[in-house]
Amino acid sequence: MSDVQEATNQLLHVNLHENQRDTHVTESVPRSESEHLRVTIGATVPTGFEQAAADEVREKLKSSCKISKDRGKIYFDISVESLAQVHLLRSVDNLFVVVQELKDYQFKETKEKVLKDFEELAGKLPWSDPLKVWKINTSFKKKKTKRKKLNQNLSKEKIDNGRDKREERDVKKELSNNSLDSHILDYYEKPAIKEEISTLVGDVLASCKNETEESLKEDTDPEVLKFRVTCNRAGEKHCFSSNEAARDFGGAVQDHFKWKADMTNFDVEVLLNIHDNEVIVGIALTEESLHRRNITHFGPTTLRSTLAYGMLRLCSPQPSDIIVDPMCGTGAIPIEGATEWSNCFHIAGDNNPLAVNRAANNISSLLTRSQIKEGKLSWGLPIDAIQWDICNLPLRTGSVDIIVTDMPFGKRMGSKKRNWNLYPACLWEMGRICKPGTGRAALLTQDKKCFTKALSGMEHVWRKVHTVWVNIGGLHAAVYLLNRTPLAFVHPSGQDKEELLSAKND
Amino acid sequence: MKLLTHNLLSSHVRGVGPRGFPLRLQATEVRVIPVEFNPDFVARMIPKVEWAALLEAADHLRLAEVPKGPIQGYEQDETFLRKMHHVLLEVEVVEGTLQCPESGRVFPITRGIPNMLLNEEETET
Repeated sequence: MSDVQEATNQLLHVNLHENQRDTHVTESVPRSESEHLRVTIGATVPTGFEQAAADEVREKLKSSCKISKDRGKIYFDISVESLAQVHLLRSVDNLFVVVQELKDYQFKETKEKVLKDFEELAGKLPWSDPLKVWKINTSFKKKKTKRKKLNQNLSKEKIDNGRDKREERDVKKELSNNSLDSHILDYYEKPAIKEEISTLVGDVLASCKNETEESLKEDTDPEVLKFRVTCNRAGEKHCFSSNEAARDFGGAVQDHFKWKADMTNFDVEVLLNIHDNEVIVGIALTEESLHRRNITHFGPTTLRSTLAYGMLRLCSPQPSDIIVDPMCGTGAIPIEGATEWSNCFHIAGDNNPLAVNRAANNISSLLTRSQIKEGKLSWGLPIDAIQWDICNLPLRTGSVDIIVTDMPFGKRMGSKKRNWNLYPACLWEMGRICKPGTGRAALLTQDKKCFTKALSGMEHVWRKVHTVWVNIGGLHAAVYLLNRTPLAFVHPSGQDKEELLSAKND
Repeated sequence: MKLLTHNLLSSHVRGVGPRGFPLRLQATEVRVIPVEFNPDFVARMIPKVEWAALLEAADHLRLAEVPKGPIQGYEQDETFLRKMHHVLLEVEVVEGTLQCPESGRVFPITRGIPNMLLNEEETET
């Protein structure tokens, strides 16, 4: 395996397990500090899945949520003791503690006046409780980073293992023997993509190295913290830019706390979120992880785990449900499923042998993490991987309860022309394997036009119940929630099926 | 590949239809990997299992102590549920083959992953 592939594997591994559960934080907080301390936490979630996130918060933290008008954000109150559990939420990307929420903020008319207001604001805010929370949170993160490094090293060992190298070579030989369409051949092999990934990997490895160096030397002066201000601004009527606001607000914060400003190696990230007339000041509790953000943008079509979680949740998995992803890629969705819904059985399938192998590797990496975490030796999970063709699924008719998948967009993988043939065939096969009456599917696609057309010919099989509009690395996509109608599937003769499918394409 | 998965797999060679189930299982390498026991999961799974297929597969793997069918009051019978749990989830076929009972087509299982892809000829009319 090349260095790039090795590093990509690591990244994908990290990406998929970025928000993995880390329980058993045994460090106890001095009671005087944490007693009765309640704070408001803000969380960013994939747009469109705010309700799913709110449901998860209610379920796991017993707390009700406010869904912000600023899309993709939810807010909820917790007592500080629950902070560890907040980090276990599967539907949130990033967390921050709210310093103050200023609804109906009155922006003055000129830029100078507005910026002056921001400067004055810095000194008037109730920083002390949020900073306490930040401090407690930082101690969690130190443990998480150590464990992450341990696992990265472990997975590196697995990859270095000569056996894996041989496997990849064998698989490649198989590929050249099979008459596989060049479009679906390994995405990673395309030179342009390889280069993108190697640059990305270079950056990440460099920053990982910095992290290690940083954690090696203890804080020379624990009192002088380093900070930065990140400003997100949305709205038509603002006469200032986010950079200007960040700069001036940051200046005042620096004067107030005597902290040192550092845009890259910071301890405290102050958030200034401005959405029309709403201003929220917060302190970040998670890092906007570079590799996760860039993996969804540059990387091959790996879905971020919060989106996978949201899609699965949309289907309301019940105990013992059979959940299948027939185009699983590296297995993001089934892996999220097996972790969070371990009382269901998950199957990951793909036609690309490299994808299936990576999915299987990711699954066994999960096994390794469980090992460490709970001291259980080689425990397995209710998940299997299969190599198959979505248009000819080797599954019994009506045997599957839930189908969740990320359908080819036709931009990064496959093509729009192919989708015209692929989508009807997919919906057909998925309709066949899905249990009539109770079965359901959550399908993500950017090719909404093609999907809608394909669906319109299948009303006797699939009924659309809900659409969630999502944003995937800048692309406007949709998750369609479909219910399988009670109509039982009748096996047509081969010819009938061909005719039916080609009729739909006209 | 677990036996629960085998229970769901069916041959999709052209023209075979529902006669492609169950696939005949042969294994050259099998592993037992413990999985967390969830009695509720197993109990709900029992009605969904195709027993004849499961027994045939278990037989080919020469597994001992496989219940022949659901027993009276199985939902509360922990011994029964644990045996089923073991058979369905903990036995992994690492290397082997799956054979279509109708067409004879053989699908390989490599490193625990069945390869169910068909050639062009096998899928065309």
